[in-house]
Amino acid sequence: MFTYIIKRILLMIPTFFAISLMIFVILNFAPGTPGASLAGGEGSQSAEDSVGQRESYQIFKEQFNLDKPVLFNTRFQLDTATVRAAIGDVLNADRSVSISRQIEAQVEIEDWGNYAVPALVEILGSDDVVEVRSYASRRLPLNAKRRLRNLYGGRSSPEDRAHNKTVLSENRQISTLTFPPTASKQEQAEVTLAWQTWIKKNSDRWDYTGTKKLVILATDTRFFKYWMNLARLDFGVSHVDKRPVLKKVFKKLRYSLSLSFTAVLLIYFVSVPLGIWSSVNQNTTSDRSLTVVLFMLYSLPSFFTGVVLLNFLTRGAPFKVFPTSGFESLDTSGMTTLDYLGDVLWHLVLPIICLSYAGLAALSRYARTGLLDVIRADYIRTARAKGLPEFVVIIKHAARNGMIPILTLLATLLPTLVGGSVVIEVIFGIPGMGLYVWESILLRDYNAIMAVLLIASGLTLVGLLLSDLSYALVDPRITFD
Amino acid sequence: MNTSADDHKEQSNFGDAGEDLTYADIVWGQFKHNRVALGSLYAIFGLILLGTMAPVIASNQPFMWELDGVRSYPWFTNLFDRLVFENPVDIFFNLLLVALVPGVVLIGWRVTKLRASSLTKRARRRRMRSEASVLLIVFVLTYIAVLLFPHQSSYTPYPKLMDRIETKGVQQVDALFPIFDFGFRDTGFRPLAGPGNGHLLGVDNSGRDVAVRLLYGIRVSLTIGVVAVAIYVTIGIILGASAGFFGGRVDLGIQRLIEIFMCMPVLFVIITLIAFLDHTSIFHIMVLIGVLRWTGVARLTRGEFLRLRNQDFVTAAEALGYRRRTIIFKQILPNALGPVLVAAAFGVAAAILLESTLSFLGLGDVSAPSWGQTLKEGYSSGKWHLILSPGFAIFFTVSVLNLVGEGMRDALDPKLRQ
Repeated sequence: MFTYIIKRILLMIPTFFAISLMIFVILNFAPGTPGASLAGGEGSQSAEDSVGQRESYQIFKEQFNLDKPVLFNTRFQLDTATVRAAIGDVLNADRSVSISRQIEAQVEIEDWGNYAVPALVEILGSDDVVEVRSYASRRLPLNAKRRLRNLYGGRSSPEDRAHNKTVLSENRQISTLTFPPTASKQEQAEVTLAWQTWIKKNSDRWDYTGTKKLVILATDTRFFKYWMNLARLDFGVSHVDKRPVLKKVFKKLRYSLSLSFTAVLLIYFVSVPLGIWSSVNQNTTSDRSLTVVLFMLYSLPSFFTGVVLLNFLTRGAPFKVFPTSGFESLDTSGMTTLDYLGDVLWHLVLPIICLSYAGLAALSRYARTGLLDVIRADYIRTARAKGLPEFVVIIKHAARNGMIPILTLLATLLPTLVGGSVVIEVIFGIPGMGLYVWESILLRDYNAIMAVLLIASGLTLVGLLLSDLSYALVDPRITFD
Repeated sequence: MNTSADDHKEQSNFGDAGEDLTYADIVWGQFKHNRVALGSLYAIFGLILLGTMAPVIASNQPFMWELDGVRSYPWFTNLFDRLVFENPVDIFFNLLLVALVPGVVLIGWRVTKLRASSLTKRARRRRMRSEASVLLIVFVLTYIAVLLFPHQSSYTPYPKLMDRIETKGVQQVDALFPIFDFGFRDTGFRPLAGPGNGHLLGVDNSGRDVAVRLLYGIRVSLTIGVVAVAIYVTIGIILGASAGFFGGRVDLGIQRLIEIFMCMPVLFVIITLIAFLDHTSIFHIMVLIGVLRWTGVARLTRGEFLRLRNQDFVTAAEALGYRRRTIIFKQILPNALGPVLVAAAFGVAAAILLESTLSFLGLGDVSAPSWGQTLKEGYSSGKWHLILSPGFAIFFTVSVLNLVGEGMRDALDPKLRQ
C-alpha cells in the first residue's frame, strides 16, 4: 500500500509537469496579448515616433517575461541580416509593408532585447542609410540596458540595491548615445565610435560558449521562468492590479468552498436516503416516478434553473424573497455571528439549489444501483433468515456495503468543490473562484488563469489518487500490492 | 417494464430468425421494448426533421413571387445562396432538405425491391449497406462541391419589398411566402415584445423573432453536438484501441496522455480559449470540445480491447493470418463499439449543454442562432418569454438524448436482457 502511494505520487509529478506545459503552451499561443490595452493606440501612430512611448509597455512585458520566447530561446543565433530586415520593416521606407507587419517587426526588435545588441552595433558601424543607422542608435540604449535585480519582489537586499545603483548609472550613461536621422557626419561617427568601444568593453556579455548557449536555449524562456517561480509556490502577480495571485485565490476560495461544501453536504444527505428508499421499493410506481423525476432533474441545465429561480424569486416578477446577487449583504458590520451566518445562508439558498440538484439526481442513482447490487447477496439473505428486522438488514447490513461506490465519488468531487461553477457564480454574482476565473479571462490576466487552472488540475490528480485509495480503505478485498 | 406476453412473442420472433440474428438485432430488440427510449429516439428524428424543414416554415424568400406577370421562385434558387445562408451548417441542412423527398423515395423503393428478392438476409444486408454508402458518398461530395463553389446573388428582402410596393399601390404583386415570412436574422420587430401578433414566442432584444431563432437553433445545436462527439469518438477509439491492442509501452504512453487530459480542467480551458478567440465560430467550439474531451471514450475502448484481446475469436483471426488492421477494425472494434455508442449519446447531450453554456456566457458564435444566446438575453432583460422557450428547448433536447443513451445502455446490458 505504502509503496503504491509513493509510486503514484512520483508518477503525479511528470503528469503535473506535462499538464502545466500544455496549459502554458495553449495560453501563450492563443490569440491576443496580455495587457494589450497598455500598449496604447497601436497602429495609429507611426512606428518610428513611438520608440520612447512604448517603453512603459516594454517594462510591463519584461516584468512578466512576456518578451521571452515561450519554450526555446534561440536568440543567441540572431544575425545582422535578420535585425536589418526588421528595422527595414519598421521604417517602411518604400511603403511596401503592411501596418500590422510594421508593428510586429517593432515588437520583435523590442523583444530581442540584449540579444540584438551586437547586430545593432554592426548596423551602426556599417555604411547603411542614415535613417537605419539612426534607428539602430536610438534602439541601442533600450536594448543594451541591463535589468534591475529583484525590482518587483518587494524585499531587496543591500547587495541588490548596490547592484541596481551601478546598473542604473550604466543605463543612464548609454542612454544619451543616440543621433537623429538629421545628425551631422561628425556626430554620427562619434556615437558610432562610442558604441563600438562600449561593446568591446562589455564583449563578454555576448560571447556565447556552447554551454551558455544551451543554458539560454532552455532557461531564458517564459516557461522556465514560470516554473522556477512555481517551484517556490509563487504563482506570480496579477497583470491587472499587480497583487499576488495566490493570495487572491485563497480569498476567493472562502466563497467557493462555503458554497460548494454546503452543496455537497446536501447532495449526500438527500441522495443516500433517496437511493436506499427507491432500491427498497424497487420497481414500484413510486420508484419509477422518482426515477423519472430524477432523470429530468439530471437533464435540466443548471444555468436555466438559475435564471428561472433568479427571475421568479428575486427580481419581484412576481416574488422578491431572496437577494438578487452576492455572497452577503452589503453592510454586515452590525451583525452578530449568527445573524451573519443566516444572512450568508439566505444569499446562498438559490445557488446551492442550482449546484446540487443535478449531482443529487446522479448520486441517488448510484446509491440505488449500489444497494441493489448488495441486496441480492447471500449475507443479506442470511441476515433476513436470522429474523432481523428489515430496517436493520437494510441500514446496518446492506447500506454499509452498498454505499462504497458513492463514498469514493467524494474524492473526485474535490476539484469541483474548489473550482466552483463559472456559470452559477456569474449568474448569482458570488465572488468565488468561478467568477474570478471568468473575470481574469475577460481581462486576459494570464497569471491568474494559469494559477486557477494549475490548482484545479493538481487537485484533480490528488482527487483521483484519493478515490483509488478510498476504494482499498473501505473495501478490504481490494489491495494494490 | 414489459409484460410477459410481450416477452413470449419476442422470443418466438427470435426463434424464427434464430440462425441469422446479429448482435445488433438483439440489442435493437431490447431497445424497442423500452418505450420511453424509443419515443426519445423518434423525438430526436423529429428534431432533425424540424431543423431540416426550417426554411419551409420560416424564410424571408417567397416560394413564388410574381411582379407584373414575371414569375420567379426565389426560395428555391436561394437555398444555397451564401448571402441568405452564410453558415455551412445551414447549407448542409438545406441540402438535406432537397435530398429528403427523392432520398426517401429511392430508399423505400430499393428496400421493398430487395425485400421481395430471393436473397438471404445476410446478403440483403450487405447489398443495402453498400448501396447506402454509395448514397452517403454522393451526398457528402455534393455538399463539398456546394461549399467549394459558393453561389451568391444579390440579396433581396422580399417581405419588405412587398410592403413598399403595397403602400405605393401601383404594381400588381402576387407572392406565396412560408408560414413566417422572415428568417432568423431579420430584425425590425418591436424589441422584447411578448408572444402574439404573429410571433409565437415573442421577439428578442434585437427585434428578432424568437420562435424562428429557436427553430434554426436546432440545426446549430445538433450539429455542434454530433460533430464534436464524432471528433472525440474518432480520437478516443484510435488511441484506446491501440493502447488496448498493443499493450506494453504504447499502452503506458497512451495512459499517461489520458491522465494528462483527464486532469486538465477542460471546461476552464475551453472557456478560456473561446474567450481569447477574436471571431468565434461554431467550428471552433466543435473542434475544441472534440480535441479535449476524448478521454472517456479512449478509456472505454481500451478496456473493451483489453477484454477482447485474448478471446478465442481474436486468436482464430490471428491464426488465419488476418492483417492487424483487419483484426483491430473488423474483428475487435465492432464488439467493442457498444459502450462507446452509449457514451456518444450522452456525449452529444453534454456537448449541446456545453455549447449553450458558452453562448449563455456570451462566448458563442454571434452570427449563428443559439439557444444559449436567447437565454442570455432573457437573463439580462428578465423577460419570461426569452427565458422559458430556449430553456425548454435545451432541456428537451438534452433529455431525449440522455434517455436514448440510457435506453441503449440498458439494451446492451446482458443482465437486463429479457
